[in-house]
Amino acid sequence: MPAPRTAALALGATAAALLTRRALRRRVSASPLWPLPALDPPVSGQSRPRPARLLLTAHETIADGVVRLRLEGPGLPRWEPGAHVDLVLPSGLVRQYSLCGDPADTSAYTLAARLVADGRGGSREVHEQLTEGMELEVRGPRNRFPLVAAPAYVFVAGGIGITPLLPMLRALPDGTEWRLLYGGRTRASMPFLDEVAQLAGDRLTVVAEDEDGRPDLAALFAGTAEGTAVYCCGPEGLMAAVEQALPEGATLHLERFAPGTAAGPDAAFEVELRRSGRTVTVPAGSSVLAAVRRELPGTAYSCEQGFCGTCQQRVLEGEVEHRDELLTDAERHDSMLICVSRARGDRLVLDM
Amino acid sequence: MSNTQARVPLKARPVSFSWDGTPLHWVPGDPLTTHTINVLHLLLPAGERWFVRVYQQALPLIRDDRLREDVIGFIGQEAVHSQAHDEVLPHLRELGLDPTPYTAQVDWFFEKLLGDRTLPPGRPRRWWLLERVALIAAIEHYTAFLGNWVLNAGELDRRGADPTMLDLLRWHGAEEVEHRSVAFELFTHLDGSYRRRVRTWATAFTALVFLWQRGTRFFLANDPTLTDGKATFKDFHDRGRQGLLPGTGDMLRSIPRYLSRAYHPSQEGDTEQALAYLAASPAATAAERRAA
Repeated sequence: MPAPRTAALALGATAAALLTRRALRRRVSASPLWPLPALDPPVSGQSRPRPARLLLTAHETIADGVVRLRLEGPGLPRWEPGAHVDLVLPSGLVRQYSLCGDPADTSAYTLAARLVADGRGGSREVHEQLTEGMELEVRGPRNRFPLVAAPAYVFVAGGIGITPLLPMLRALPDGTEWRLLYGGRTRASMPFLDEVAQLAGDRLTVVAEDEDGRPDLAALFAGTAEGTAVYCCGPEGLMAAVEQALPEGATLHLERFAPGTAAGPDAAFEVELRRSGRTVTVPAGSSVLAAVRRELPGTAYSCEQGFCGTCQQRVLEGEVEHRDELLTDAERHDSMLICVSRARGDRLVLDM
Repeated sequence: MSNTQARVPLKARPVSFSWDGTPLHWVPGDPLTTHTINVLHLLLPAGERWFVRVYQQALPLIRDDRLREDVIGFIGQEAVHSQAHDEVLPHLRELGLDPTPYTAQVDWFFEKLLGDRTLPPGRPRRWWLLERVALIAAIEHYTAFLGNWVLNAGELDRRGADPTMLDLLRWHGAEEVEHRSVAFELFTHLDGSYRRRVRTWATAFTALVFLWQRGTRFFLANDPTLTDGKATFKDFHDRGRQGLLPGTGDMLRSIPRYLSRAYHPSQEGDTEQALAYLAASPAATAAERRAA
């Protein structure tokens, strides 16, 4: 016996289901991705600049043992003086080179590389294997050597170390007080010497080791004004000497050729873990991660080479020497990968 | 823990891909297959970042040194997977198919809905962590399934699929096969409750089916070269029969395997095949040289 009440209920339910389906379809066709909310701002597909494949259009020797490369591609990111790029060589080796062309040129990067006879093979590959017409992967640019505002500047370049400084010299506003000491083994091995001489005029001191011996840093720094920014890029010995001779009141900015290699002198430093209230010492030749793990064994990490990003930690105080290949400039501002990066000074404070 | 195959120490490989030469329909003439597989690029960047964050919290709870080592290797591999798929997204945007409306939702799904919640410490916090560890174990059952499938999907080669995209998928698939036991072993180590396994499987499976069909529809509807981008279940099923996508039957048969009380991921897939692919993969071998 089909009770009239059951029939009415079934009819009502069917009508309700049809109406719901129609309403849902309308809602979905008006906004196909309804009903999930979106994260604002989105994270995926946004942050990291993509590596570009650039065409090598010039590969020329510009000084003894120095080649200049011109890499072209459309719509390259702009950069500031002091910036460098990662060049991925055909063998897979990654090497960092300072940009020494025109920062406003978004169609090409210019960089220069010295042949290091006893190096790890990267510079030899750049000199001997690269030929015009090849496509190379380039990552960056990044800047860990930015030109800060200062009342006066002293630049110290050792050989190929002139490359990050050259765009700075070009960018300094007229009337800025600055001078440059440019050292090298021989005049013939020093790239961009003519251009530097033209830019600097009588503010330039050239010290070729075979003619003049070692540079006289004391004379260079004599009479340096308070607040002068000293920019130095060159061999480790030169940078250590500049650090030694640095006059009081001046700030030092160093650019190392090969961060992330064992070439740099690793100094020991202290790391305070503020939330856990502990302080650890990171010895030379060991990592922050290793020191932290002795105190906090549950600390997350993985690749230990600075590419996976698992060990990223927030930095509260202290200047970091970033040696990873992953973090963006914004992330570097307040965090570090503790597996490879180190302190620039003698102390860091981490939020862990 | 029984593992019939030899144990491989897990390590992340710093791969990098160049997408400049990859066309929009990288399986030539087959937008449906292309976009069904492309959904991986929508889900994995946020999803695998979430794996990493959950496992970072699980790490201090592990009481077994070998498992801890495996989890550490697993985390790095997942982090690089997430980065590698993330780099495909700007390329899709350049080709006129902006994935952001969808990925922003996936971001919300993993960062907010499944993210860290303000819970009182102690039992509620541990419950939410275990629930997510179990979800990851269920999802990893499917990533291993898909990884094993793509390593054997010869039909994609025969159709002339883009070699860079195939290398991304197979490098990723091979690492998923390589580390397929880790998520399940972590879940068993921390909890292993059968009820939780079934419950989280149901959630993960429903979410995957929902997000996947929606992602495929999203791509087909927004593909600038298609005027009427629609897909039916039958299209999908047919692709499965041709070997262009995983077969429907295979997928259904994988369900009772995970729900069986005797399940262990080592019974799925072939570690040797995965390692052989990684030894030959252009991206993985370049990464090997880079890390050296």
